[in-house]
Amino acid sequence: MKHCNHIIRFIVVFIFIGIGFFAVRSYLVPDSFGIYGSYSYGFHRGDSDAEQASIPALYQESESCKECHEAVYRTWSNGGHAGVTCEACHGPWQAHNENTLDTVVKDTSVEGCMVCHVTLQARPAGFPQIDDFASHVKEQGEEVQQDMDCTFCHEPHEPK
Amino acid sequence: MNQDRRTFLKKSSLTLAGSGLYIALFPMISGASAKQQLYAYIVDTEKCIGCGKCAAACKKENKVPDGYYRTWVERYSIMKDGEVIVDSPKGAVDGFKPVKMEKGKIEKSFFVPKLCNHCASPNCVQVCPVGATYVTKEGFVLVDEKHCVGCSYCVQACPYGARYVDHFGSGVADKCTWCYHRVTKGLQPACVNICPSDARLFGRIDDPKSSVHSILKEKRLQILKPETGNNPMVFYVGLDKEVR
Ligand code: HEC
Ligand code: HEC
Ligand code: HEC
Ligand code: HEC
Repeated sequence: MKHCNHIIRFIVVFIFIGIGFFAVRSYLVPDSFGIYGSYSYGFHRGDSDAEQASIPALYQESESCKECHEAVYRTWSNGGHAGVTCEACHGPWQAHNENTLDTVVKDTSVEGCMVCHVTLQARPAGFPQIDDFASHVKEQGEEVQQDMDCTFCHEPHEPK
Repeated sequence: MNQDRRTFLKKSSLTLAGSGLYIALFPMISGASAKQQLYAYIVDTEKCIGCGKCAAACKKENKVPDGYYRTWVERYSIMKDGEVIVDSPKGAVDGFKPVKMEKGKIEKSFFVPKLCNHCASPNCVQVCPVGATYVTKEGFVLVDEKHCVGCSYCVQACPYGARYVDHFGSGVADKCTWCYHRVTKGLQPACVNICPSDARLFGRIDDPKSSVHSILKEKRLQILKPETGNNPMVFYVGLDKEVR
């Protein structure tokens, strides 16, 4: 049996290294690691799912404006902009909710409308587009006046 | 005596190898992954008007740092002579301006919104050395910002350029989450919610009431870069051959 000594010594060292490895590993790896799946794509810290789901949502749906802005909501839902959400023009509801009116965007500028309506070749052909403000107004047989913008003739919630 | 030693060696090495193999394979043998692709995202390039409200809403909703984009809109302009010009000023957050060019020089032009494809077999997850990016059981590809070490392997592995590392801020990788925090609350992703022309649709694949259900069945769809084998879950309507 005395020839086995070096084997036994080797095994003992191996076991100690193994124990050390698993001790360090269990200390470093978070508890929830791997609870939702194995080595293929789902191997991760399980708590991360809930952490990410708990982030508050900034944007709501247009329905959420209805209870306080009934009149505008009704006009809007029957008009040509019914597909454009309130928040596309007015910014996220969360901002309005927390800091009252300061952060509500109310952009009546020409550029605010032109982002969507200026003529671009890349836009679908059926989408209503205008080349520029001055020529559009002239086409309607009117003169460009001072302080004139798109809302002078178009109600933004019910454009015709 | 000699015989004894040989059997002893044989047995002990077999036991060692066996237990080593078991430990290595344990996670694969136990608990098979319950992950599956429950959601799909559809981009209808024929409807996109290029207003960029999606990119702007995404930036606000997810507090994306300056200079980085989780979703953006590209304008493809294909010239008469076959040249292809792609532009996306500031990710189209402020929309597009008309191109200043001779009239009629552009043969064809269209918008292509892009975002993370939330692939079913994503390269980016495979290369992560610490398990900080992963696929949830619903099929969202997410980044665990607390576990990420910011090595940028995933940024290089993604064939769609959807990932970034904010070197001046958090220092960890980030990307589109399909608004996981909104979808788990029953809302649509911010970009889908804001889109004025229904060019972006998102929903459960198996829900007959969802907007993507019928389109997945009826329309002919394409994916970006199928040759990379990532199996994207973002499908495109009306892609041209020039789009990459
Ligand atoms: C809890 C009630 C409430 C909700 C919900 C609400 N608002 Fe308001 N909002 C108000 C009040 C109060 C005012 C101030 C009214 C006034 O000054 O006449 C206001 C004013 C506004 C104004 C005008 C700001 C100005 O300078 O005149 C806009 C634009 C607006 N809201 C947009 C929205 C949008 C878009 C939503 C939905 C995303 C929304 N609001 C949801 C209560 C609400
Ligand atoms: C196309 C962009 C657009 C959309 C979509 C839109 N608004 Fe407006 N909204 C405006 C503009 C521009 C004004 C400023 C009008 C003015 O001052 O003449 C405004 C004004 C308002 C005001 C102030 C009161 C008023 O009538 O002037 C409220 C309240 C309001 N919007 C609520 C809403 C709500 C609620 C929705 C969704 C149902 C909505 N808006 C959708 C562009 C929009
Ligand atoms: C977020 C993009 C967006 C913005 C901003 C926007 N619109 Fe529109 N607009 C649309 C869409 C979408 C339609 C519907 C097009 C359709 O029916 O095919 C539309 C339709 C219209 C129409 C035609 C309506 C009809 O019935 O044919 C007019 C006029 C119009 N908008 C004026 C405006 C004005 C004025 C502004 C600025 C206050 C504005 N739009 C801002 C997206 C926008
Ligand atoms: C002087 C009044 C006036 C002003 C100012 C004005 N429009 Fe118009 N716009 C009209 C009239 C009237 C029509 C209806 C034309 C028709 O039906 O043929 C119209 C039609 C439109 C259409 C539909 C075009 C189509 O082909 O269906 C759009 C889009 C539009 N306007 C956008 C705007 C935008 C954006 C602005 C601001 C940059 C603006 N308008 C400013 C009077 C005006």
